[in-house]
Amino acid sequence: MKVHITFEKLYAFFRRDLAIARGYRSAFLLEVCEALFGVATFYYLSRFVESPQLLSALPQGGSYFAFALIGFAFFDYLSVAFNAFDASLEEARQNRTLEALLVTQTSLPVMLAGSVIYPFILTSLRTIVYLGWGVLLFGFSPRSANWGGAILILLASILAFAGLGIFSTSYTLLFKRGNPAKWILLGLSGFLGGMMYPVTILPKYLQDVARLIPITYSLEGMRAALLGGAPFRLLWPSIIALLVFAAVLLPLSFFTFAWALRRTKITGTLTHI
Amino acid sequence: MTARAIVVENLEKYFPPAHSGWRALLHPVSRLTLCALAGISFSVEPGEAVALIGENGAGKSTLLRVLATLILPTRGHAEISGYDVERDGADARKQLGYYTSGDEGFYGRLTGRENLQLFATMNNLAHSQALRRINELAELLGLEEILDRQTRTYSTGMLQRLGLARSLLHAPAVLLLDEPTRSLDPLAAAEFRRFLKTEIAGRLGTTLLFASHTLGEVEEIASRVVLLAAGRIVAFDTPRNLCSQTGTADLQDALARLTGVASSAERRS
Repeated sequence: MKVHITFEKLYAFFRRDLAIARGYRSAFLLEVCEALFGVATFYYLSRFVESPQLLSALPQGGSYFAFALIGFAFFDYLSVAFNAFDASLEEARQNRTLEALLVTQTSLPVMLAGSVIYPFILTSLRTIVYLGWGVLLFGFSPRSANWGGAILILLASILAFAGLGIFSTSYTLLFKRGNPAKWILLGLSGFLGGMMYPVTILPKYLQDVARLIPITYSLEGMRAALLGGAPFRLLWPSIIALLVFAAVLLPLSFFTFAWALRRTKITGTLTHI
Repeated sequence: MTARAIVVENLEKYFPPAHSGWRALLHPVSRLTLCALAGISFSVEPGEAVALIGENGAGKSTLLRVLATLILPTRGHAEISGYDVERDGADARKQLGYYTSGDEGFYGRLTGRENLQLFATMNNLAHSQALRRINELAELLGLEEILDRQTRTYSTGMLQRLGLARSLLHAPAVLLLDEPTRSLDPLAAAEFRRFLKTEIAGRLGTTLLFASHTLGEVEEIASRVVLLAAGRIVAFDTPRNLCSQTGTADLQDALARLTGVASSAERRS
């Protein structure tokens, strides 16, 4: 019964965000166009830089365009995990709905979880649009893709990234703004995680650091599944690594979040703008 | 056994001092040195309407926020309908509605009905139950004509009525109100007071604890008054008794005298 009520609440948050987004239909259309420009930029950049040497360095072979497209499209999930929890908390503080929500019979973790469903679904749609433009106009071909494997990698990635996002929200909860940890981790992930180039071209010590961040395993697994059509036995190492990150990060982040929440209730800053 | 609606026992609340610059980073772990409530005790019976009065910074809003489970007490304890606000926060929230005037947080692009439906779901009301309750409250508060408009088009008075409807969605036993008529014009404020007294307290039997700076409002609605000064209770009695104890003709003079007495008592100690 309790689980059923929680799902109803999560769905109510999704309906709220969808209803608000209905008021900004043109923004969605603009995003579709923006995705086209982004994909086109990668396509022409890849034609400019592609060389036999570069192609041989790509783990799944194929084109640099396909490599960069996957990196660019799926890095969004990490950005959303970092930004969506923070943004939902900030927005609720700004529009003064946080206090009204907190005196209801819904806990803050459920509120935050409900508030990130829409951004994650929107990101998935955006990723489909990116890949769609790639297929329609620029010869990206995921015909041999292992879609089941890609979905597993995605789900494991979302769990691992959510742990990081909840950590980040704990900071925002306590200090309200400016989240250096978020920008450092996002910057590091963009630099070391293999979004635009394979991790293997980094110096050895940086490759070792890259093994400590989840996006590395996420992009490796996703490319292997979508570009290389890798079977599950080759995807398990990435999936297991992501699940280990999730198993460590989620409990730790929940603990940190609970501490931060209690602390803000003590200092009286929970609903402060 | 019927639990008292509100019980407050030796309640203390301290906040950390405000810091600026890099020291603001220490704020979450700073020592709690600023006193907002200095060990107050009182109780409210079911169905009673009690007013909290006192100067700005006396501790009225802090007390309401502790009772609403928005902040944690430093020492002492408080109960809503028998539930400890710290230990049984979720159960206490089932029993209470909280309403702050002028700070109504609504989603402007949603209609009044959509907003209320969302908050009803957050209060565990089933869909059909929520629809019925929203219609009842819309009729009670005269919201029917505006309920399907986006709330960004509402006037302050409409938002206040919608805010009150939200706080009553789950039929709470106790309603906490922080300066309920602060942003209303005199006519709307009078109507709001009448509504609180006759419909919410009278017809529904809801216990009211409200903070106010308007003594007319206090006299009209409250059966008893808690006078707070610097986080302490200076007096807790009926308006009539406060006047007779101080030998004054009206509540304003009584309060001035009581606050003055408290100040001189503090000076003596």
